[in-house]
Amino acid sequence: MKYLIYALLVPLLIPFQVLGFDRLSIGGIRPDLSLVAVSLIGLHMGEMEAVTVGAALGFTQDLLSGSLLWGNLCLKPLVGLLAGLARRNLVNLTMKFVFALLLALSIFSGSVMFLLKSLTGPGADFFAAARETILPQACYDAVLGTVVLMLMQRWGPARKSYTVITNE
Amino acid sequence: MISLQSITGAKRAVLVLLAIVAAAFLVFPESRTGPLQMIGRPLVAVVAIPLRAVDAVNHGVDSVWGRYIALRRMGEDNLTLRQDLARLQEENIKLRETAAATDRLRALLELKEKTEYPTIAAQVIARDPTNWYRSVIINKGRREGLAADMGVVTPAGVVGRIVKVYDHLSVVLLINDRNNAVTGLVQRTRDEGIVEGTEKGLSQIKYLPLLSTVKVGDAVVTSGLAGGFPRGLPIGRITKIERREAELFLSAEIEPVSDFSKLEEVLIITAPRGTDELPANPFPMHPTAPSRRDGGEPR
Repeated sequence: MKYLIYALLVPLLIPFQVLGFDRLSIGGIRPDLSLVAVSLIGLHMGEMEAVTVGAALGFTQDLLSGSLLWGNLCLKPLVGLLAGLARRNLVNLTMKFVFALLLALSIFSGSVMFLLKSLTGPGADFFAAARETILPQACYDAVLGTVVLMLMQRWGPARKSYTVITNE
Repeated sequence: MISLQSITGAKRAVLVLLAIVAAAFLVFPESRTGPLQMIGRPLVAVVAIPLRAVDAVNHGVDSVWGRYIALRRMGEDNLTLRQDLARLQEENIKLRETAAATDRLRALLELKEKTEYPTIAAQVIARDPTNWYRSVIINKGRREGLAADMGVVTPAGVVGRIVKVYDHLSVVLLINDRNNAVTGLVQRTRDEGIVEGTEKGLSQIKYLPLLSTVKVGDAVVTSGLAGGFPRGLPIGRITKIERREAELFLSAEIEPVSDFSKLEEVLIITAPRGTDELPANPFPMHPTAPSRRDGGEPR
């Protein structure tokens, strides 16, 4: 069942992002559904699955993007790995932690994308890009991911949420 | 019955007199009642106050009651009318959409007929899946004869160039993307430069000669020297000229002629130099043509 969901996620998520979420863009900024999905998979299922799904989603994203580099193919598995590693050190997840983690992962991903774009084109102002693209998208990603997690927890088995960093 | 026997003579006389006066007023002509009306005016004024108040209350009750009854009767009519209105509004939207699509397709067809180089029409089906590139996805690909670096245009002018081609899909990098570059020409001065996108979603022409007489409002067109475009396709109009000290070239900001936020159908130029002679310019750029500033760039 899990693998069926992953198999459906990869071909459906990107079309949904480019068609459905195009209408929900705020100031021209859309959330990166792949990043949110990979992060949540990492937090729930572990880094191996997140890396695999991240590679597939990133690859699909790069295929349909105007990008000449394969930035998402590299970044999405890395985001999945970081989310999976975060899960290893946590007993349970709070919404605040998930929000902060998604925000950080999205800012990291956006900054790397900016650098990659600068490699293939003329230089640009990083602070302008941060203000206009990276931070708004990170906020959108974090809010969306937290809402999705809340819905998942509501429909899934009830458990108390708290964040404890283990000493393992 | 009142017995006149019990009333004194004087009083009896007064009563008779009053009866006579009353009877007399009844048969008097209307004009003779004026003095009485004049006497009664203050009284009427006093009586009118509660009368109006009661009347207002009465009207209110009547109105509420009437509306209630009317509502009961007209509820069904109202529902039917609302349904009709919704249906008509939907039909109206569909008709407007059809009319707009017809206009766009007519313009595209006219352009296709005017051009001397081979073109393929395609539909824009999606935008870039990331916020980092300004690109669109079109519904034609390798199987339809498209290839990378082919130029993409609309009746307004240059849109971009194909960067990725799949069997039935292609990715078009828009001309306002920072990673796109097209050789351009200032139409009036014939100065050549490289047109690139900017972070603001506009374009700029770089490497213009320092002594160029280029000015704001000048049209920029494709030079046809390289890339997938023939000479003379409109790119945009110059909105700002940047003269920086210690730089050997001028650069100018361009407002693209195409509205990238509303792209729906495009033409792909499959062979810009397929003919020996340069094709006639099917995009005459009128000096008074309204230029466009795109507010909602795909990002």
